Amino acid sequence: MIPLNFYLVLSALLFTIGVVGVLTRRNAIIVFMSIELMLNSVNLTLVAFSSFLGDATGQMLVFFVITIAAAEAAIGLAIIIALFRNKQTVNIDEINLLKW
Amino acid sequence: MTFEEVFFYFLAAGAIVSALLVITRRNPINSVIFLVLNFFFLVALYLTLKAQFIAIIQILVYAGAIMVLFMFVIMLLNLGDEKRLTDRVTWKQFVAIGLSLAFVMQVLYIVGFGETAEMKTMSAKAVDIGTVEYIGKELFSYYVLPIEAISVLIVAAVVGAIVLAKRKFD
Amino acid sequence: MAEHILESISLFLPEIALTVTLCVAIIADLILKERNQNVAYVVIAGLVITTIFVLRQTGLTETIFSDMVAVDPFAVFFKIVLAVSGFFIVFFSMKCRELDANKKRIGEYYMLIVAMMLGMFIMVGATNLLLMYLALELSSIASYILAGYTKRARDSAEASLKYVIYGAVSSGMLIYGVSILYGITGATDIYGVNAALQTGDFSPLALLTAGILIIAGFGYKVTVAPFHFWSPDVYEGAPITITAFLAVASKAAGFAMMIRFFKVSFIDTALLDTAGVWDIVEGFQWNIILAVMAVLTMTLGNLVAIWQNNIKRLLAYSSIAHAGYILMGLVVLTDQGIASMMLYFVMYLFMNFGAFYIAMLISNKLDTEDIEDYKGLGYRAPLVCVAMAVFLISLTGIPPTAGFIAKFYLFAAVISAGWYGLVLIAAINTVISLFYYVRIFRNMFLIEPEGDTSKIEFSLSSKILVFALLIPTIFFGVYFRDIVDLAQASVKMFGL
Repeated sequence: MIPLNFYLVLSALLFTIGVVGVLTRRNAIIVFMSIELMLNSVNLTLVAFSSFLGDATGQMLVFFVITIAAAEAAIGLAIIIALFRNKQTVNIDEINLLKW
Repeated sequence: MTFEEVFFYFLAAGAIVSALLVITRRNPINSVIFLVLNFFFLVALYLTLKAQFIAIIQILVYAGAIMVLFMFVIMLLNLGDEKRLTDRVTWKQFVAIGLSLAFVMQVLYIVGFGETAEMKTMSAKAVDIGTVEYIGKELFSYYVLPIEAISVLIVAAVVGAIVLAKRKFD
Repeated sequence: MAEHILESISLFLPEIALTVTLCVAIIADLILKERNQNVAYVVIAGLVITTIFVLRQTGLTETIFSDMVAVDPFAVFFKIVLAVSGFFIVFFSMKCRELDANKKRIGEYYMLIVAMMLGMFIMVGATNLLLMYLALELSSIASYILAGYTKRARDSAEASLKYVIYGAVSSGMLIYGVSILYGITGATDIYGVNAALQTGDFSPLALLTAGILIIAGFGYKVTVAPFHFWSPDVYEGAPITITAFLAVASKAAGFAMMIRFFKVSFIDTALLDTAGVWDIVEGFQWNIILAVMAVLTMTLGNLVAIWQNNIKRLLAYSSIAHAGYILMGLVVLTDQGIASMMLYFVMYLFMNFGAFYIAMLISNKLDTEDIEDYKGLGYRAPLVCVAMAVFLISLTGIPPTAGFIAKFYLFAAVISAGWYGLVLIAAINTVISLFYYVRIFRNMFLIEPEGDTSKIEFSLSSKILVFALLIPTIFFGVYFRDIVDLAQASVKMFGL
């Protein structure tokens, strides 16, 4: 049997890969994909806890997280399309994400 | 090593490698493909955790709907390869990345060597709670309010996506 | 189960009324077609019904939908604050010229405002982390769209994109924190979390990690440093009505959720005494973290505001600074602190809406948001500028205005809990804030108008709305006993 912490370590690593993607990539679409990676790693944590604790709440949360991820992706992509119409680019050079 | 362990390491390695490929590809189409691959590894991991329902909707909703949406937008905007993957890394980004790595170290320490490590075996109930019946029953009894709330959220998101992406209203 | 759900519905009428309003708004938009600005009246009617249902909930202390939502004085208080701000925003929107370019889509605009309000109504009552996350997302998703509503604006789409990326990352961190907390405690219901934490059988480091992640998620919603980066750009890029709504209502709902989460989950109920002083469960000193954040937030907000020339951006930083002051109330771990936070929100609503409304009126007439263009406006539009001066005095916290009473009670609560250093920093910050508020004042009154010196006339309804905000701002500065009593009585939460 695989112990719980193997799953948790894996999902922490995936979460970090997602965060690094968000912080470093310029292409807004890739940034959104990195956010999907983050949410998926959260789902893995939740499912792992749910199975090991024998409690369904974690899987319920996953269900809702997936739905919200879909809604967020739809909104994000719609905004990217609107931005592309104005600027002909999806790069976020000018959108300095850590401006004061 | 048992077969179970070998299988887990294979899936974990696959998930990490495909995730790394997602954030390092120049062409967004390649990133999408690797993200879908990553989802398939996750689905297999969910099955090892006996969460059948989640595994199914992961394929149906994520791989089937969300990634198609991504693919569709990339095709629509006709994006090519990027010349540079990232901007010059500013000191703020450097600090942010440093902090997130420190955070991972912390999480790794907690889950790898901390006290949660004591859970070695899956609960016997895990098989039951992963089924469609169990989740369906819970969703429409204890979670009836969240599921209604999320329907409003989806309505708002659909209306909003149309409003934002529609070219002209005249 | 079915009976329980039916019983719950009877206590969930305000939210149901909002949901119905939302649906009616979409349908009305389709039917009215060219006259779709009349959707505003549908929304006002819906808000009136919602407010009536909220008022009928006073005095109740119950949870509904299997402990998902609490209907208690605390929630009712915030629901009233939210409903009042909803009314003002709909009235503002009917006057806002910035939205005229998007006349065709105004029906959806009102519908999304209602969706955002629904999210915030659920936020203030939610007692389950799952529902908190969901409600936060509902209000966030509606505000992402609203922030990018006017495509005319220079950076609207960019601001919106920045907002979505920030929001998605923060909510990702929030849900990761929730997942760890769930792993530690085996519950997502905050009472269950509290019960599990009191047994003390967990790793403190894991709790710290979960707590910091959750603070990051909440901190983004209430714009406290270092999670405020999105707000100046979004506040500047969004239509001014939405900026005002985000600065007041969204912040109030975020703080309400944060107060409930921290007060219920992380306190030791065994040590709870009647005087309303609480103690934290072992292992996670969250109030120290929040104290540091409060200091950072107010200092940064005030210092950066000095250099701003755009009125919206200035008010954005000012509202960041106010979030810092408000956060102090949660740090001190007393019911008095919570009551003073709630009082602050009432006062803040009127004075901040007032400042935003006048900025909007001036932008309607002069098409400018630059403070340099306010020169000599005191001679051209005396009434509006005097009102603006009152709002700015109130935002600074000088008597005899509502802002002074709010700050007085907040600082008193912090002092009586023994956090003298924190109050000292807040007092210094209040002095700093005087610089940029006075700058607007000086431009309006002490500098003679250049060029066009004609009088600017405002419509009667605009003036009425100015008075509707001005009178409470002065009134609560002079007569405040009742509102203070109300806030103190509304601290009561379910289960405590």
